[in-house]
Amino acid sequence: MKKTLTVNLGGTVFHIDEDAYQLLDKYLSNLRIHFSKEEGADEIMSDFELRISEILNERVRLGSEVITLDHVEMVIKRMGKVEELFDEEPAEEFKQHAHSASGEQAREATSRRLFRNPDDRVLGGVCGGLAAYMGWDPTPIRLLLFILMFFYGITIPIYFILWLIVPMARTATEKLQMRGESVTVENIGKTVTDGFERVSSNVNDYITSGKPRTALQRLADGFVDVLGILLKVAAVLLGVILFPPLLIVLFVMFIVIIALVAGGIGGGFGFLHNFMPFTDWNVLATYPEWILMAGSICTILIIGIPIVAILYAICSQIFKFKPLHSGVKGALILLWVIALGLNIFFVARYGIPFWGDWYNWHWNSAVWQAFLPGW
Amino acid sequence: MNAENVKSQMRKGILEYCILLLLKKEAAYTSDIIQKLQEAKLIVVEGTLYPLLTRLKNSELLSYQWIESTQGPPRKYYKLTEKGESFLGELEMSWEELTNTINHIRNN
Repeated sequence: MKKTLTVNLGGTVFHIDEDAYQLLDKYLSNLRIHFSKEEGADEIMSDFELRISEILNERVRLGSEVITLDHVEMVIKRMGKVEELFDEEPAEEFKQHAHSASGEQAREATSRRLFRNPDDRVLGGVCGGLAAYMGWDPTPIRLLLFILMFFYGITIPIYFILWLIVPMARTATEKLQMRGESVTVENIGKTVTDGFERVSSNVNDYITSGKPRTALQRLADGFVDVLGILLKVAAVLLGVILFPPLLIVLFVMFIVIIALVAGGIGGGFGFLHNFMPFTDWNVLATYPEWILMAGSICTILIIGIPIVAILYAICSQIFKFKPLHSGVKGALILLWVIALGLNIFFVARYGIPFWGDWYNWHWNSAVWQAFLPGW
Repeated sequence: MNAENVKSQMRKGILEYCILLLLKKEAAYTSDIIQKLQEAKLIVVEGTLYPLLTRLKNSELLSYQWIESTQGPPRKYYKLTEKGESFLGELEMSWEELTNTINHIRNN
């Protein structure tokens, strides 16, 4: 006696034995992975499914009520095994590996990368990832960390920093890199069809494990959720407190630039004085013109880029914009870092223009003291 | 380097040409194309053909329409496009050249 499943294959309903289903599912998944890089992969796959459906339909008309393992094997033989369809390259590679006498070389070729392990995590998956990276069992690493926590307080911030900066292994490719296995199509197929993970149409899509969570892990999940909410609240509060002063700085910088451009060398401060009479703009005259200009532009970038980025992120959530292109993102981050570097240099070299004034001016020094003590 | 490998490379090289040639005579179902190619020993397994047909279709050399089937799901009925015909013309010429080259080398 066997359990059967009902499947819809190319628009036709079939009763199929469970083992036959497993085989067919694995076959189609592997094909999907192989074709995923190709344009029109979906169409190719639906061609395959339609054809398989046609072949199986013939069997049904000949009197088979249920699709069995034999039928599926016959189908695969007719359609071609995955190795037959994509014969040449993997075979060549395999031969070369076999020829290189030392297995060392082959192992070195597959580089390991540190990821957080989403399939074996209690808190952030840092220990699971480290374990996969080292090839150890995660439990001793967790124990060690737990003990270290009591002797060295720094362990806790280190853990959180790792949590923040080490990426989670989300795709099949990343999961293989995490374990140091080579990213071959066969291996990806194995990762994906290893039982509890569903295949998506693209190798680089996220795949998630459906493994049930243990009680400890569920407790930790709750902790992570609470921590996430607290962090979000803190971020919003910080934003609310910092936003107005940052906007004012931004505004002043624009004014300075306009004044410099409008007035040419030396003459623009009258304009500034008209605009904000309470400030002693003469201080600015003691700084070289181009430094003021460059410093202002850098400050605008330093403050402006994150604000625009945050606003964009919020808008893209609400209005379903496309997220920023990664190239644009990279350029903005680079620009921000350059601006910050330049400004640090300017401040170190020339000091902060009219800082003393400003500090004594309307600015609630308590606010500044709270965020930048000692400045 | 083994003979089987080179032979399969040669077969692969002319596969597109042969598909276009088959469809020049008359439009055909995917299964017909497969059957003819298998008779000609050009392909062994059916799976080789589907990505190829999709690629040819995406390059606008072929087009297809769905035809209802009395037995099972609707099937794709492929035919050559105008672009495909001029493409085939180029391939024909290049095939002539190749056979001439081979004959020339053989006989000298």
